[in-house]
Parts: sequence; C-alpha cells; structure tokens
Amino acid sequence: MKASMVAITGVGETEYVRASQNSLMHMLAEASRKAITDSGLKISDIDGVIGNRNNHSTDDLCFNLGITQQVFTAVTDVAGGTATTGAALQLAQLAIDAGLAKYILIPYGISCSAPGGPYMFHGREPLKGDLEMPVGYYGQPSYFAAMTNRYRYEYGLTDEELASVALTHRAWATLNPDAQKNQPMDYDEYLKSPMISTPLRAADCCLMTDGAGAYIVTSTERARDLPHATVTVAGLGIGTNPWPQSMVLTQNPNLLNLPGRKSAADAYKMADMSPDDLDLAQIYDCFSISAILQSEMLGLCEKGQGAKFYHAGHGMPGGKMPINTSGGHMSGGYVPGINLLIEAVRQLRGDRGTAQVPDAKVCAVAGLGGNSHSTTILTRS
Amino acid sequence: MGIPVFPPRFDTDLLKPFYEGLEKGELRMSACSTCGEFHWYPPEILHCHPEAKIDWRTISPEGVIYSFTTVTRSLLPGDHRDEVPFTVILVESDDVPNARIPSIFMAREGQEAECGMRVRLSPVQAGEHILPAFEAID
Repeated sequence: MKASMVAITGVGETEYVRASQNSLMHMLAEASRKAITDSGLKISDIDGVIGNRNNHSTDDLCFNLGITQQVFTAVTDVAGGTATTGAALQLAQLAIDAGLAKYILIPYGISCSAPGGPYMFHGREPLKGDLEMPVGYYGQPSYFAAMTNRYRYEYGLTDEELASVALTHRAWATLNPDAQKNQPMDYDEYLKSPMISTPLRAADCCLMTDGAGAYIVTSTERARDLPHATVTVAGLGIGTNPWPQSMVLTQNPNLLNLPGRKSAADAYKMADMSPDDLDLAQIYDCFSISAILQSEMLGLCEKGQGAKFYHAGHGMPGGKMPINTSGGHMSGGYVPGINLLIEAVRQLRGDRGTAQVPDAKVCAVAGLGGNSHSTTILTRS
Repeated sequence: MGIPVFPPRFDTDLLKPFYEGLEKGELRMSACSTCGEFHWYPPEILHCHPEAKIDWRTISPEGVIYSFTTVTRSLLPGDHRDEVPFTVILVESDDVPNARIPSIFMAREGQEAECGMRVRLSPVQAGEHILPAFEAID
C-alpha cells in the first residue's frame, strides 16, 4: 500500500462492563456520537461509515444516529483486530484518496453477554458441530491453550513467563480507572485464577465485555483544522493465511504461524521504519499466547523469545517497550481491536495521565483476526 | 478424567462416514475420488477436481499428538460440569502429516498427553455415540 495521508481525529468509547443494560446498537451509537464530538465534527459532517460483518449494518447504524446525508459505506470482511485496526483503515484510506468521503466513522462493538455467548457464531460452523464440539474442543480458550502447549514444546515456556503477560497488562490497567479489571494482581493472585483449559487460566484470557468504540478518519490535511494533535496512519500491513476461520485453529500446518510477519513487514516498509522506532505497542491479546506470538512478529524480540521479553518486564510501566497501556483485552476490556487502537491514539495525543508513556510519538497496533493479521503504525505529527 | 457428551450435529451427512469408520475401529479421512489427494477437514468443493466426490479412505490408526489441552471448564452449550476434566488432542495420522483430527486422549493412570507422543486409535463411547479417541503407544 502506498504511503498514507489519513489521520485519526476523534475517538469514543462506552463503558466496558461484563453485562450492559444497553443493546449493541445503543453502544455503537453512543461510541459513535462521542467520537464525532471528540473530533470537533457534527453528525451532518460524516460522509462515510465503515462497519463489520459481525456488527449491525451501516444503514441501520446511520438510521439510529440520524445520519440522513448520502454516505460512502463499506464493511470489513475480516474478523477481530484485523477488521478494526487494519482493514477498516485501509478502506478509509482508499475512500478518502478516491474522493468518495471526507470524514469516515468507524464503529465496532461487542455484546459477550448476549444469549448464546461469545462462541455461538463459531458453533454454527458445520465442521465444528461435527468434529470439534463432540470431543469438547470448543471455545477460543481451548484452541489457544493448544497453541500455548505447542509453543511450550517448541520454544520452552515456564509458568512464570506465561503469567507475565497477564501481569504486565494488569499493571497498566491499575493506571486506568476505566479498565474493566484494575485491581492489582501479582503472581500469587494469578495462581488463584481458575484454570479453564490447560495451561490457560481465566487470567490468561481476554475479558467478557459489553461495549463499543468508534473513531473518525480524515485526510491529514483536514485533520490539521480539527481540535486534537494529528495522529497519522504512517504504516499499515495486512497478512492472511489460506485457511478459513473454521479450520485455521486446527489445520494450519504450523499453528503458531499467524500471518503477522507479513503484516509487520508491510507496515514498517510503508512507514519507512523499523521496530527500533516504536515508543510503545498495543497488541491483540485475546489470550496470553496471542500477545507472545505477536510481540515476536512485530519484531520487539526474536522468534521464541516473546514470553521471556514479557517476563523481563519490558512491556511494564517504565519498561523499554510499554505494551497494552490501557490493560488491553485481558484487563481493560475486550472490544476486539478497537479499544487498543483508541488507546494508541490517546497515548500519541499525550492524554493518558498517570498511564502516559513519556514523549510517545510512534505506536504499533497488532491486530489478530483469526486467519488474518494487521499491523498499523500510528505517529504523532 | 471425564468424557464430553455432545453428539455430532450432522447438519449434513458429510461426516457420517468418518463416524461409521470409528464404529468399525477404523480411522477414515476424506480424499478426492479422482486424484486421491487428502482434503481434511472435508470441503464442500474439492478444488483439485471440482467435479469429483469425496472418497473416504482408511488411514493408519497410529500417529502423533501435535498439541493438546486438558479442558477443566467445558464451554459447550448446556451444563457439562460433570464431564470435565478431559484432554483434547490434535492427532496427525502417520499417513497424512499436518491433517489434524481433534480427539480424546485415553490416559492410563497418571499419564499426561505430550506434543510428539505416539498414539493409537481407541474409539470411545460417549452415551449413544462414538468419539475419536487415542491411547499412548508403549
């Protein structure tokens, strides 16, 4: 992808809670209104909306927001973090560069408390119904637990190293009053967390969250006229592998080979940067193993060293590479990808109070999405 | 150790020959009826020969564990608290590397699954239906 001239100018979030009284549409609309206000715009300024295949359609969303003007619309056809932190920005850049829209709204929400729970849509897959559910291989924790055991077999992984991911993200969450879980947690507390699927405890898993986030994308030129410091999309890469969602977590020849190296290489190339240029990172931590693997793919450390990188404290407050500075998905809230991107924007604006990384100018956002992966590099101009 | 009880859903008949094989103590895998290439999980369309059918071939009942996890909290729909813990293994038959069969590990006393462990098919009944299961080869 060619060098981008787009910026993120507004962000908004609902509260992140275990079970909200509000519908998904209510949460999407609330986050969207906040993002529009934060960007100094009005509802009538929005001329583009990018949704996701797992959320409400853009026409429903526009109707509930009172957007009556003609808008450019698109839907990201990937899952999770790739959709909200990569593919949506790629579509926004295309639309803005082509002159199809000036101010694009990108919302995403989740309702883990909805009937059927967060695994219901995976359960609809016929192959899972015939081959995986009968042997109890069901629910994301089990899939990522098997990945963790394979990682341990190939590279070595102590219990303390595994725990260090949860402890790092929780340390950041204690600095974030809006985090869903922000009580301090040490290794003894971690060991009290119930085992879900060995070796993953509840503390190694993302939270169950009801909530939504949204952001506004415009050209860097227009962004200069808006209230906040300009946060530019300097680099963006997307990688995929050739397995559908229904198969990728069992049949990928190397289960640890997420397509993150390709996305990172493309993002660094587009930004003309290297991992040495990063001040901090936000990493899609659906499970501790996902964060370990993506820290390696981002180039923060060598292959097989991600858990040791965490265990050395490098991602902690005061560490050399702060990671998931709002608490991430494991302690902050699980609104796939989008709350990580919003945190990146706030850090680059210098708005994070006690959790602020000093002089943060470059932040990578790593977004896993099943069989896809995005790396996005944001900079403060 | 427990056994999960959650019958195959069989939205279609696609996977029935796999379970019929287990009833006979056989491990079967889906292959292209024209060229014989294995396709696992069985796809709706065989991209090598779109006009071909799926042919179920009996493969070696021995293989290795690619990875595993012991489920201590079942996330299956419904109440399955009485069925945990059980250990799920991803098994690669010696005949078809990289094609993984989610299965149950039948542990002997004190035995734990490991990556790379050699195993042999040993199907197990779970209520009315049969499940793919393997035990360690001594």
